[in-house]
Amino acid sequence: MEAMQLDSQKTFHRKHSTYHCFVSFLLLAILFFLFLLDFSFTSFLCCVPMQLLLFSTFFFFFFFFLFYQKEVLFFLGLIKSLKINQDETYEITKEIYGGQQYSQIYFARLHMMRTVLYSLVPDWKPHFPVCTVLGLEKDKECIIVGTLYKHMKLKPCILDEYSKERSAIPLVKPHNFMHPDDHLVLEDESGRVKLSSDVLLPSIYVTGVVVALHGKETDAGDFLVLDVLEAGLAPQVDVPLNSREDKYVVFVSGLSVGNNASNPLQYQLLVDHITGHLGDEKEQGSAAEIVHVVVAGNSVEVPAGLLNGQNLTSKDQTRLSEPIIELDILLTQIAAGVPVDIMPGSNDPANFSLPQQPLNRCLLPGSATYNTFRSCTNPHCFELDNIRFVGTSGQNIDDLSIYSDGDDKLDFMERTLKWRHLAPTAPNTLGCYPFIDKDPFLIESCPHVYFAGNQDKYGTRLITGSEGQVVRIISIPKFSETGIAVVLNMRNLECHTLTFGTSI
Amino acid sequence: MNRNSNNRKRPPQTPQPPPPTKHQAISPNGDEEFVDEDVFLEETLIAQDEENLMLRDVASRIDKWTRPALSSGYVSQSLSIIFQQLEIDYVIGESHTKLLADRSGPAAIIRIFGVTKEGNSVCCHVHGFEPYFYISCPPGMGPDDISRFHQILEGRMREVNRNSKAPKFVLRIELVQKRSIMYYQQQPSYPFLKIVVALPTMVASCRSILDKGIHIDGLGTKSFMTYESNVLFALRFMIDCNIVGGNWIEIPAGKYNKTSRTLSYCQLEFDCLYSELISHAPEGEFSKMAPFRILSFDIECAGRKGHFPEPTHDPVIQVANLVTMQGEKQPFVRNVMTLKSCAPIVGVDVMSFDTEKEVLLAWRDFIREVDPDVIIGYNICKFDLPYLIERAEALGISEFPVLGRIRNSRVRVKDTTFSSRQYGTRESKEVTVEGRVQFDLLQAMQRDYKLSSYSLNSVSSHFLSEQKEDVHHSIIADLQNGNAETRRRLAVYCLKDAYLPQRLLDKLMYIYNYVEMARVTGVPISFLLSRGQSIKVLSQLLRKAKQKGLVIPNVKQSGSEQGTYEGATVLEARAGFYENPIATLDFASLYPSIMMAYNLCYCTLVTPEDVRKLNLPPECVNKTPSGETFVKSDLQKGILPEILEELLTARKRAKADLKEAKDPLDKAVLDGRQLALKVSANSVYGFTGATIGQLPCLEISSSVTSYGRQMIEHTKRLVEDKFTILRGYEHNAEVIYGDTDSVMVQFGVPTVEEAMKLGREAADYISGTFTKPIKLEFEKVYYPYLLISKKRYAGLFWTNPEKFDKMDTKGIETVRRDNCLLVKNLVTECLHKILIDRDVPGAVQYVKNTISDLLMNRVDLSLLVITKGLTKTGDDYEVKAAHVELAERMRKRDAATAPNVGDRVPYVIIKAAKGAKAYERSEDPIYVLENSIPIDPQYYLENQISKPLLRIFEPILKNASKELLHGSHTRSISISTPSNGGIMKFAKKQLSCIGCKAIISGSDRTLCSHCKGREAELYCKTVSQVSELELLFGRLWTQCQECQGSLHQDVLCTSRDCPIFYRRKKAQKDMAEAKRQLDRWNF
Repeated sequence: MEAMQLDSQKTFHRKHSTYHCFVSFLLLAILFFLFLLDFSFTSFLCCVPMQLLLFSTFFFFFFFFLFYQKEVLFFLGLIKSLKINQDETYEITKEIYGGQQYSQIYFARLHMMRTVLYSLVPDWKPHFPVCTVLGLEKDKECIIVGTLYKHMKLKPCILDEYSKERSAIPLVKPHNFMHPDDHLVLEDESGRVKLSSDVLLPSIYVTGVVVALHGKETDAGDFLVLDVLEAGLAPQVDVPLNSREDKYVVFVSGLSVGNNASNPLQYQLLVDHITGHLGDEKEQGSAAEIVHVVVAGNSVEVPAGLLNGQNLTSKDQTRLSEPIIELDILLTQIAAGVPVDIMPGSNDPANFSLPQQPLNRCLLPGSATYNTFRSCTNPHCFELDNIRFVGTSGQNIDDLSIYSDGDDKLDFMERTLKWRHLAPTAPNTLGCYPFIDKDPFLIESCPHVYFAGNQDKYGTRLITGSEGQVVRIISIPKFSETGIAVVLNMRNLECHTLTFGTSI
Repeated sequence: MNRNSNNRKRPPQTPQPPPPTKHQAISPNGDEEFVDEDVFLEETLIAQDEENLMLRDVASRIDKWTRPALSSGYVSQSLSIIFQQLEIDYVIGESHTKLLADRSGPAAIIRIFGVTKEGNSVCCHVHGFEPYFYISCPPGMGPDDISRFHQILEGRMREVNRNSKAPKFVLRIELVQKRSIMYYQQQPSYPFLKIVVALPTMVASCRSILDKGIHIDGLGTKSFMTYESNVLFALRFMIDCNIVGGNWIEIPAGKYNKTSRTLSYCQLEFDCLYSELISHAPEGEFSKMAPFRILSFDIECAGRKGHFPEPTHDPVIQVANLVTMQGEKQPFVRNVMTLKSCAPIVGVDVMSFDTEKEVLLAWRDFIREVDPDVIIGYNICKFDLPYLIERAEALGISEFPVLGRIRNSRVRVKDTTFSSRQYGTRESKEVTVEGRVQFDLLQAMQRDYKLSSYSLNSVSSHFLSEQKEDVHHSIIADLQNGNAETRRRLAVYCLKDAYLPQRLLDKLMYIYNYVEMARVTGVPISFLLSRGQSIKVLSQLLRKAKQKGLVIPNVKQSGSEQGTYEGATVLEARAGFYENPIATLDFASLYPSIMMAYNLCYCTLVTPEDVRKLNLPPECVNKTPSGETFVKSDLQKGILPEILEELLTARKRAKADLKEAKDPLDKAVLDGRQLALKVSANSVYGFTGATIGQLPCLEISSSVTSYGRQMIEHTKRLVEDKFTILRGYEHNAEVIYGDTDSVMVQFGVPTVEEAMKLGREAADYISGTFTKPIKLEFEKVYYPYLLISKKRYAGLFWTNPEKFDKMDTKGIETVRRDNCLLVKNLVTECLHKILIDRDVPGAVQYVKNTISDLLMNRVDLSLLVITKGLTKTGDDYEVKAAHVELAERMRKRDAATAPNVGDRVPYVIIKAAKGAKAYERSEDPIYVLENSIPIDPQYYLENQISKPLLRIFEPILKNASKELLHGSHTRSISISTPSNGGIMKFAKKQLSCIGCKAIISGSDRTLCSHCKGREAELYCKTVSQVSELELLFGRLWTQCQECQGSLHQDVLCTSRDCPIFYRRKKAQKDMAEAKRQLDRWNF
């Protein structure tokens, strides 16, 4: 709990850093003026302690500048937008795999979400008491808060893979594990209760979502759900829009460099467009407004079958490293012009479980030398001119589409926002690091832009929350398959696509 | 306490002597000799005032627990009482003065316990039934002689039973006309003496007097052969009253009296005369089951570190109970009684007590109020019940062990040894809980299923496809000493262990199957588990014999001196891989058919002297291939054939009814019945062959097998004569193999359909040449068929030409526990590839890859774990065994977690100094994992996988051994370096380059200068390993959460039977290591 609070303080601190920067810059200026003054009063120089003080203050501000370089530069108008990276929650540095298990992450999640839901209950159903699963009494209407668990008949089970006799008929692997018999169970620390309801559809919810339920225990011992309360969109920091100039952020995902089907020309067109080497003046003009590029996962495709623990022949070594070098070259070109963030995806040479850690610098030695280049975690969270961006390379959404139903991927994305959790199925079906005291995927502050990479097709939607929160949701298609990059205008959060066709 | 392992619940080392009962001792062979044990009513009762002290917690729950109230008809005694009886026993009490005016002194009173269809419990005291047996009457004995004989016998009896207070021993001797069942006799009956004694135990003492010889004036000393003197009293009663186990009994209104003194906790308790009972045959309305109550329970005990719990030291900390009404899906009472506070559990009534005494007494009160008819559990007979009783004794709670239905009657515990040819010898405890049937699922499992392990975990994963979490007994004390939450955790676990037996019972339809078995064979339900097969046959034989006026001699058991006889024949197997369909011709219930066809029975057997003397016409007798002579049925119909006929017709009828039945409950009953009938029919043959059985008759059994052999040969000859090219068939048929009752024929035709046609034709043709009802049936086709040797084969099983049903294997190591999982996987996969995919090269390649993986140390450790049960301590073993040695070594390392006697010890074979014995090389898999000790692949290759593999491949490949075990794939070997011990203590650790393993030092932390250029590639390799491990880690641990049924609680399970246990452990360790490797890249 303590760690959580600390984290939120830190974000607060960062949010106001523009202001800090401004103040400190003023101080710096005054000090510099004093320093000049110092020269004129040579007698002053003799006073060694004073001199020391002056120098130390100077150094202090020098380091301050080093730290808040970007802010200072932005303030001076030397860079176009101010980006603050907020990936700390997703970074795994000191943690090691000891004996920890997954119960802690559920516990932390339930704890945090319960605080949120409890605060909402008085406005929702003020007349009903709040119970735990254990305190349920037959036919007494009440409200319970807990983690949902979806019992799924078709869910693949690792035990079967190991223990079952090989069946004579090969199994057909469905793309979705839904079954009409699936049912939901609500669990808190005290126990579990089976849910029966018409309002709480098992097809929509997944294991790991925390909700408040209004209902009563039936004779059969089930809990009959009459109404459901989701946490809804998290509070959002208001950002004045429309008063700004056009600034564009480009999202691209699924580059899959090295994929047999990929076309190098397509990549080059993308790079050239971003860096303003393409098209007429008008187009170059709009390209000049691009302030940031996000590469959301699956940037490179390493030939399968090479990484099986065997020693590689030198030919295979080249086959393995070639796509990575190629990607490095592309990124170097972009980084030379525009700040670029790269996130790891499911196929990238990165770890498997969420949060995925940044791609190692040694993979991209060329682009890593630019300070405009940043290798980020997945999920990735950053602020650009106070607009908050949160996004993933798509694993969380894909997993939801396997274990629940929805019309399109945007539905799943919207749900995760409303559940205030980026990846509710982690750790149940989505790999996840066993955190001890926190659940990093909780959405404590609602983003303005929420994206998911590596989806089948482009889609976007603007949703508004009950407290006036506005979120732009974007599903970014795979570039290698569609040739589409998504452009977001930060002035009004409008979205459009760039399509790079190579067929003549 | 850990409930999952069968052996874990071993009897405590110092069993306290059974409560003092003055009666004679314990039967040495549970199965083979039946001894009645008289229990005197008064002796077992304890002072009245000790009951009625009920705990407050219990009192508040009585409403939920008690049975439905009696209807007014029962109260006013105006209704006939109709109930399903479940348990019949007897006690010795005073003769009922009103019902039996002319009798006095102690007499045996039969007690029948049961349930009416309203769910009221019944205890019926039946009076007037007397124990008796027969002896053959010496020729020329008149009525006077009989009364003199009576006096002599009475005198001798008084001598033997000096301390008995009975006024009279031999009540009367009657002259009856009977005939011995043994041998064909022309005369219809001979005079026999029926000796009626006062008490059941007197039968045995009287018998021994008569066996030894008795001096009768005028006749001299003469020893008598006794007849039916070994029949248990309760069974005798059932036979004479035509009662079968689990049937419905009616006592008409007015024929019963309420007992003057209520002795039991049953709602309806009354006296009646045995002649008033109406026993209903289990048909129609009376084939249903009464709503009896089934209690499933489990206890947990807090053992001391390193010790198995002993009742003298270790407290009982929790008792979980589930009570289910027969026929209902959900239990209506779920509760757990805990020592010290316990956090509440959803849907469970948690009762916490401060002292152990209260826990025990609460449980006793619970039993009394809920009044279960059947008590089930896992290993309750050997562990839970005796433990509770001995614990109560250790604590000095004398009022605890009143668990039966008789007021103030203490439960009695005694050690028994059960030995049977079929089930082997088992030591067990017998806990007499009067009026309640005990059904230990463990015993039932061991009886009915051949499993590699009988732990509750593996049994439930086998039948319910569910892994059970397993809490190691060393943790239990910690959980108990924690807080209310940790005790709740334990309680949840305990409840689950109580629920699983109930689910197994439902899933395997044990209630239906066992009640039906009791009804078919006519023995009480409790006999089915506690006794062997022979009593079932004996019961049927006695019933039949009674109808025919025959009596069964009590043959002195001559041990195995009678020798053995030739068993069934097995035709030489022509080993090979058959890619043509192989038709299988089966004899339908061969042995019963033979006995019926040739009228083989005790009473049709003609002794060799009689063959000469009687001069029977040859058309009236059958001379069996083994040289015995039996008369044909027109002279004398055999009893055994008659029993068999009835069983088989009943089975046919049950099967026909089963097809018609709609209601799933009816179906369950009928299916149970037909199964019981089949098993019973098959056990008749075994009964005649059991040399230390009740009535062995090797003439019959050897005749049966000789006919069997003849028939197999006959079939083979006929098939090979008829289905030839000469006779117009396309191919010459060939019999490739024949077992006890089946013949495998290769007709040479290429398709399943044609093989089926010919198979049917052959079956019809050959059946025609046999005496009815022997019938050859065509059932299935194997295609393809891999015949390895006698009793070992595998094939795809076809019963219709379109699609195969399954893969059928016999005698191939796919299930044996001695082997490691690798063998099982390898064999299964190879058979799959060979038989289903028809891909022999693929199978060979697969074997090669696996062997290569094994040698390259890439095989998952859990596949290599071998498990053996530790049945006694190290010193008791004569030969040093790997698992025993390991257990000793582990005890030295840490006594708390080392395996105890009764545990299963898992181990792997590790690499050690040259020439070290295999038993020195065993090691704990977890220790191996933690210290990366290298395993010995050569051992696994030579001792584990080579034999089964060669067996499969030898019929297929020419030089299988060379090809599979010595090919080029065996040349590269990789062995992991141990992290401690031995030479590694002297080694200095240094970082080496991830790329080329060169030692690096100084500023380089990851790669040497030569490998710097390959950074990206090497990083990809490291990270891909990490990501694979992460995937595995996540899936394994979430699976364990799923099994335990909770997301918010830590997984505690340490079930070593679980296929993912080692993997989970390994994933955890590998993950930490891989992460460390990955971190080296963050320079």
